[in-house]
Amino acid sequence: MLKGIAASEGIGIGKVRIISQQKITYDTKPVIGVHKEIDRLHDAIDTFIDKTNQLADEMEKSVNPKEAKIIRGHVTMLSDPFMVSQMDELIKNDNKCAEAAAETVLDMFKNMFQQAGDELTRQRATDVEDIKTRLLRILLGIEEADLKHLPPGTVLVTNDLTPSMTAEMDHENVVGIVTESGGMTSHSAILSRALEIPAVLSVLNATATLKEGSNIIVDGINGEVIDAPTMDQQEAYEQRREDYFEEKKRLQAYVGKRTETADGMSKEVFCNIGNPKDGIAARDRDGEGIGLFRTEFLFMDRNSMPGEDEQYEAYKKVCDTMEGKTVIIRTLDVGGDKEIPYMNLIKEDNPFLGYRAIRYCLQNEDAYMLQLRALVRANHDTGGNLWIMVPMVASISEIMQVRKLVAKAAEDLSMPIPKVGTMIETPAAFIMADVLARHCDFFSIGTNDLTQYIMAADRGNASVAYLYKTYDPAVLRALRSIISAGKKAGIPVGMCGEAAADPMLIPLLISFGLDEFSVGPTSVLHTRAEINRWTKAQADEVAKGVLQLETAEEVKMFLKEAIK
Amino acid sequence: MVSEKLKVTNSQGFHMRPATLFVNEMAKFGSDVTILFNGNKVNAKSLMNLIAACIKFGAEIEVQCSGDDEEAALAKAKELITSGLGEE
Repeated sequence: MLKGIAASEGIGIGKVRIISQQKITYDTKPVIGVHKEIDRLHDAIDTFIDKTNQLADEMEKSVNPKEAKIIRGHVTMLSDPFMVSQMDELIKNDNKCAEAAAETVLDMFKNMFQQAGDELTRQRATDVEDIKTRLLRILLGIEEADLKHLPPGTVLVTNDLTPSMTAEMDHENVVGIVTESGGMTSHSAILSRALEIPAVLSVLNATATLKEGSNIIVDGINGEVIDAPTMDQQEAYEQRREDYFEEKKRLQAYVGKRTETADGMSKEVFCNIGNPKDGIAARDRDGEGIGLFRTEFLFMDRNSMPGEDEQYEAYKKVCDTMEGKTVIIRTLDVGGDKEIPYMNLIKEDNPFLGYRAIRYCLQNEDAYMLQLRALVRANHDTGGNLWIMVPMVASISEIMQVRKLVAKAAEDLSMPIPKVGTMIETPAAFIMADVLARHCDFFSIGTNDLTQYIMAADRGNASVAYLYKTYDPAVLRALRSIISAGKKAGIPVGMCGEAAADPMLIPLLISFGLDEFSVGPTSVLHTRAEINRWTKAQADEVAKGVLQLETAEEVKMFLKEAIK
Repeated sequence: MVSEKLKVTNSQGFHMRPATLFVNEMAKFGSDVTILFNGNKVNAKSLMNLIAACIKFGAEIEVQCSGDDEEAALAKAKELITSGLGEE
């Protein structure tokens, strides 16, 4: 089995077709006539533009207009008169042949794009490479690999799926895609998702390891490629493919629908995300807001603290993506299991009970102010739907201090104060929830940490894992009392842990009165469907039964039966 | 030559689509159009150069136009940039 990045969901079973893009080589010929050579270049560019426009036209019809724009962009790029005149100059002054002139100039722009400080521009470098390859092919008269005539059940294995390949590809007959490069936001990923073809990307040496014509399974859900599967594997995956299609069809009915219980009580399904790009997934998967945006990604894999503007841009981007829907952003949750080298946190014997999250931030007020200012600005500039969530609050004075700092940031900037709430994860916050609620605009329950703190059981320690259960009556009672404290104070209560997407817990959460369920983007429709199964009265019935039970095992058995 | 200092107000900055719009509009003028950004001079009639310059949201830039129709070119450039470069 080969591992890669699961970039487009689904399961594809078929036969390998390898398209390997060899490096194009040519002899640099002496230029006989400068004008003739320039004409040759311009003819090739004209041919490129005609062919590419044709491709884009076809794509507009067969895929969708948005993806065709990527291809159309290649025409615009190669139509830049200044870039073309640079190529002409190289032919005229440096005696370069058309191929070398085109390659030199396009490589120069590719490098400039790659060195740009921003992701979007860097991605355009792939386009320039694609343009170069195709233009050189035209100049040299090299046939492109024929992707128009593929047998049914083809699994395309290639170095990189270029936009032009995708446009030409006979996608009716392609059941899976495997590439050697590309991540979640590469063209390969975007295009395969648009075509709804299961894809696994960044599989090392795929074109060398896999054999032309052999049987293969592409698991775009788990990012796995099974080469030459056994009969048993084949059957198991056929079953999974069928289940996947059926589930997809069932959930499709919930796209664009409001979230409500069977008796019409409104709820919300939000998304948990870890970076601005995930925001796109949240929106595309029909999330009604962002319930938890973890900001640690901004601080990790680097040598110094990100500045205010950089943070502002990231926060604003998510708000822009969500187009006015609520976006709850958690301030820096460093420490515990998340280490950031330049913050010089000392190794502690008991990091989960140590110097982390808001404890760290309040001791490093200058750095924290940068984050709060960035949040206040992003809230102001995107219409005021950004909420600030504070992690690991254990004492009321912590949330009071944060509120003071947020108010100061807002005053300094002459901007409105965003909503501020607590991520409830400590037993202290749960016990004091009624008081805490007076100081918060909202609650969001972080069940993962709350469970481990209530049970005093490290969730990473296998020996005590038996204690770490959200089904434990102790945890369920905590959830009930937190939600009820929030409701009494009239503030919205959400949940941003794995429990929010658990079909067994959903009836309990409905009964307790939870307003907002924040789940991974891929779980949105499923959670909405599960919420829609229950009336309040049915959910209350389940909760009543559960609250009489004494152990996690009993609760689990009871709920298993109840959701049947 | 005429010039004016402006701030980029659209969220994407001079990325593919906004830059294409800008370049296409500027091509209608005979004047040279240059953007000064971060100490660099960028040929603002060249899409590739404009993208490579990576001019983002909030950037402070100076647009310079020089030629027979420089006044009109600058007015159009200003209108495009302040109105958000066609972004909705």
